[in-house]
Amino acid sequence: MSELTVRESINQALAEELERDERVFLYGEDVADYGGLYQVTAGLQERFGEERVFDTPLSETTLGGTAVGAALTGTRPVVEIMFGDFLAIVADHLTNYAAKMHFNYGDGTSVPLVVRTNYGAGDQFGLHHSQSPIAWFQNVPGIKLVAPSTPHDYKGLLKAAIRDDDPVIFLENKLRYETEGEVPNGGYTVPLCRSDRKREGEDVTVVAIGGMVDVALAAADRLATEGIDVEVIDPRTVVPLDKEPIFDSVRKTHRLVVVHEAATFGGFGGEIAAEVAEEALFHLDAPIERVGAPFTPVPFAENLEEAYLPDEDDVIAAVRNTLGE
Amino acid sequence: MELTDERRTEVYESLLLTRRFEEAVLEAYESGGVPELPHLSIGQEAVGVGATYALEEDDWIAPSLRTRAPILMRVPLEEVVAGMYGTRSGPSEGRTTQHHMGSTERAILGTTGMVGSHLNVAVGAGLSSRQLGNDRVSTVFFGDGATTRGEFHTALNYAAVEDLPVVFVIENNGWTEETPIGQVAAVEEDLIEFAGHDLPSSVVDGQDADEVIAATAEAAERARAGDGPTLLEMKTYRYRPHAEVIPERRDEAEIERWKARDPVTIYRDRLLEEGIVDEGWLEDADASIRADVEAAFQFAREDPLPPEEAMYQVYADVEVDRDGGVVR
Repeated sequence: MSELTVRESINQALAEELERDERVFLYGEDVADYGGLYQVTAGLQERFGEERVFDTPLSETTLGGTAVGAALTGTRPVVEIMFGDFLAIVADHLTNYAAKMHFNYGDGTSVPLVVRTNYGAGDQFGLHHSQSPIAWFQNVPGIKLVAPSTPHDYKGLLKAAIRDDDPVIFLENKLRYETEGEVPNGGYTVPLCRSDRKREGEDVTVVAIGGMVDVALAAADRLATEGIDVEVIDPRTVVPLDKEPIFDSVRKTHRLVVVHEAATFGGFGGEIAAEVAEEALFHLDAPIERVGAPFTPVPFAENLEEAYLPDEDDVIAAVRNTLGE
Repeated sequence: MELTDERRTEVYESLLLTRRFEEAVLEAYESGGVPELPHLSIGQEAVGVGATYALEEDDWIAPSLRTRAPILMRVPLEEVVAGMYGTRSGPSEGRTTQHHMGSTERAILGTTGMVGSHLNVAVGAGLSSRQLGNDRVSTVFFGDGATTRGEFHTALNYAAVEDLPVVFVIENNGWTEETPIGQVAAVEEDLIEFAGHDLPSSVVDGQDADEVIAATAEAAERARAGDGPTLLEMKTYRYRPHAEVIPERRDEAEIERWKARDPVTIYRDRLLEEGIVDEGWLEDADASIRADVEAAFQFAREDPLPPEEAMYQVYADVEVDRDGGVVR
């Protein structure tokens, strides 16, 4: 085991996959010599050469389209999109092309590409560099959406995403590139499409996504001091969803809180709430609580952004509501 | 590129097959028999036929919604027609129409309903050729309207910056759906003026298959030699509206003027003049192609609709249920 940051975990995953499979290549805006805006790809061009790690024009249209074309024709591109907000530009190639070509072809052809991008409010980057774009893509069959929470999962899931034959949008929380955690030495993968129980508890189930897993765990620690035992489930792959562990947990705790960063309305929490209502309604002892952002763009001012972003207190309040406190 | 007499008769057969196939589509559509809305290429056949003949069989082709010829040249006729009917033997068991079909074995890149979104995809195929160290060229066909999209400029720029093996073929039929291209494109005369990028470009007579073959062969050779992309503007014309639901609004005289330069007639007359074929051969070829087309339509009409399971082919690497839940 080593203590690594999220940034180092991602960098290691990329290096190991570039080393393992010559069909893998990495490209994007400023990812090569500069090492990426967040320095996630630092050193990779030097190690693997200009043929494997290279810069592109400032055109997400080119990145999205060429990644689809490359993935359809025998290579495994890993694209960096500088901010998740820019996925709006790549959305045509991701939703109409990448997601649909396995369906559209009849010969088993698939689109093994990975789009790495970041998201996350909390650094005053404003309304166009902070959004959480999960809900934009959750209704698109054919895309896989992965949002890890720990350095261990970042590394293992990214390696699995690169080896996966389907198109994956890999979402990195940009407030947590410095977060440290234990990462095994040597190669390992974390399977896609498997939910993970991050904390075992008996009283309330909290399903949290991406950066909100930390928040939910911190809230659970505070509640534990009061004798409230919270279970935290991290779906890790948001779409397609590994639902059973969530249902199992709700059948045990009889209470559900869903936490994510994007607006509550129309967000992924609503989908989980609906799934649980369909599958486990009579196991519930209290109404489902959703914790998310208000239905506004991400505001800039310090106090507004703080009010926007869900935090531990919001999770604690929601848990208490399910307990009737 | 020198073509043997035999190859030139094949070019003619491909032109005629495309023509007869689409005439049959129109006939079937007008009698209420084809569910796929036809976007016919009648009048434009020499562009797709000529360009495909200039390429190797494993060179990637990304067709436009109207590039019918390469699909007919690389895919069995029954499969294409079944694709129009949405029946089980179509290219994707009824999941999509034939004009978006993709096939890795036949080096056809699938496309979408977004006009021009396949340009960067074709550039990506060129990128694969470079990464994998093979010499497969990627050729993308697109209409004049696509040149007014950002996709066109970003694809040309990236292919040129990286010297990727891509041939860009504009099928300029003068009309962007129902609007003359001159009205919406800020060029003096030709769409290649748009390029302004560091890549060779030329205007080609898209009604003459030999001209198309020569221009495409030169571009493909340049691409294979590592000298980067080429932009070719093929001047052509469609005799039918953008799609068969749209009433004809173009000037009858304009249509007649183009029909006087019909690509099938031009090639037939040339083969006759050069003594490569005679009237008897032409009649036999036509009869044989008509019979093939009729048989393919007959096959598709009798082909069953797909089973419901055909729809559930969404992910390649995980099993999911109909509500998107992962099956453990």
